[in-house]
Amino acid sequence: MADARGTILVIEDESEIRRFLRASLGAEGYRVAESATGRRGMIDAGTHKPDMAIVDLGLPDCDGVEVIRAIREWSSMPILVLSARALERAKIEALDAGADDYVTKPFAVGELLARVRAALRNVARPGGGGRVLSFGRTSLDLERRKASRDGAEVRLTPIEFRLLGALARRLGMVATHRQLLTEVWGPTHAADTHYLRIYMKQLRDKLEDDPARPRYLVTDTGIGYRLLADDPP
Amino acid sequence: MEAKRDWAGYVWAAVATGACTAAGFAMRSRFDLVNIAMVYLLAVVVIALRHSRGAAIAAAVLCVATFDFLFVPPEGAFSIDDAQYLLTFAIMLAVALVISNLTRNVRRQAGEQAALAVEAETERIRSALLASISHDLRTPLAVMTGASSTLAEHGERLEAAERQALARSVFEQSREMSAHVAKVLQMTRLETGAMQIERDWVSLAEVSASVLDRLSTTLAGHRVMMELATDLPLVRVDAGLIEQALGNLLENAARHTPAGTVVRLMAQRQGGEIVVSVEDYGGGLPEGDVERVFAKFHRGSVEGGGSGMGLGLAISRSIVRLHGGRAWAERVPAGGTVFRFALPFEAPPTMPAEPATS
Repeated sequence: MADARGTILVIEDESEIRRFLRASLGAEGYRVAESATGRRGMIDAGTHKPDMAIVDLGLPDCDGVEVIRAIREWSSMPILVLSARALERAKIEALDAGADDYVTKPFAVGELLARVRAALRNVARPGGGGRVLSFGRTSLDLERRKASRDGAEVRLTPIEFRLLGALARRLGMVATHRQLLTEVWGPTHAADTHYLRIYMKQLRDKLEDDPARPRYLVTDTGIGYRLLADDPP
Repeated sequence: MEAKRDWAGYVWAAVATGACTAAGFAMRSRFDLVNIAMVYLLAVVVIALRHSRGAAIAAAVLCVATFDFLFVPPEGAFSIDDAQYLLTFAIMLAVALVISNLTRNVRRQAGEQAALAVEAETERIRSALLASISHDLRTPLAVMTGASSTLAEHGERLEAAERQALARSVFEQSREMSAHVAKVLQMTRLETGAMQIERDWVSLAEVSASVLDRLSTTLAGHRVMMELATDLPLVRVDAGLIEQALGNLLENAARHTPAGTVVRLMAQRQGGEIVVSVEDYGGGLPEGDVERVFAKFHRGSVEGGGSGMGLGLAISRSIVRLHGGRAWAERVPAGGTVFRFALPFEAPPTMPAEPATS
């Protein structure tokens, strides 16, 4: 633990939840800073200069979304949201306000750590689009706009490439419907979710081993999609 | 009813008077005037039964006036001075008033009874929810209390493997419990009408795939076959809620059929509906239960079965109904049950085709 894997600021009012987050994140080698209120968290985010923030959406003193907006004003650090609300709308609001991913309470620690790793990995390789990805039997070069399965070229349309690019920029993390539609089709199509349904099906048909049970182009029901790729060797 | 003027009643009073008049002209040659008066009386009775008191009085007045004007000599003029016809008018008015009052009382009682029935239903659901909470939460709570206190008090004296097993059982029981609490909350929201649906164009193929992923542990012992029609259209639904509705049917199949049996997940368009089915081969339900299975929870019985039995199906049905659809169960001849729900079909919007690229 000489050199910690990074500092994570946990903004969460429940001390019992902070306790197990401290224990599990600490065990994974992260340094943990804690804030018990949203206002405190906004200040701590500036003073501690963490590599990442975990923000609870149910803070007593202010809305978690406010905290996210405040951090986003000056920082692009990954923000992971903890949401106790079953309502998808709160998560979507947080994601559209600039959060990178979410975990719904109650969650198992394994799930949280996977999200933390994906978020920090994405910072380490910014841009996402400039590299070669591989998942299953597919490999994808987004810069040169080439896709292949088992070495044989797969033809993708420009929109399909743009959609893959938008997903790859958040590799392993969720992209909301609105984000994808805005980035690929433009802001006037931000509500045309049927476009996404149709194009995601096309991409799965072309790139997944079993398009009916996708493993890499996965759905976050009611929220968006995420692209999972194999870890680079 | 009388609070907001029953205009339709007045219209019907006029229509009925007209109809009686036509009948009266047809009868005039062969029947006494008294019998024609009876026809008018019948019209007053009908209006009084079906409409407001105002409409009934209007019918009585219209009938007597028309009868007097057209049929009582001298025809084409009013001659109320004849005491006989004054009596006719009085009787018609009395009949109109008596019947309207009776009808009003009956209506009021029916309304009160309906309100009582709604109250009783709410009460039954509330007690079923409470019963479900205590029945399904007691065991996991006992396990969690016992296992975690063992860890807290004797942790250092236990073998590592034993500690691990206790911690794991706390984890598993708490996960089970949180799933159940989520269902109870969901049922409460659905029953109190606090649920808002957010519709969106949704692919049932996507919903099916993600629900099968979510339930992969629950369904691990079964052979799941996904058979969705290739031309399945998008549906305009709340994706999260429909995923729950489908998930509950699959969970139900996994819980109540033997390991190793097949569970089929099917979806297709049938006329004006998209029908989603979960078919199991677990021997099937007894005859009467097929009709009642979705209502099981509503009857307030939470006995037997696995945790959350009935609650999941009741939630599915409520969600589907919220979308204007229906849910039901059928017996499968080969010895099984198929749980289905149907959602209204709506033509999905089109999207501009992407120009072909070389």
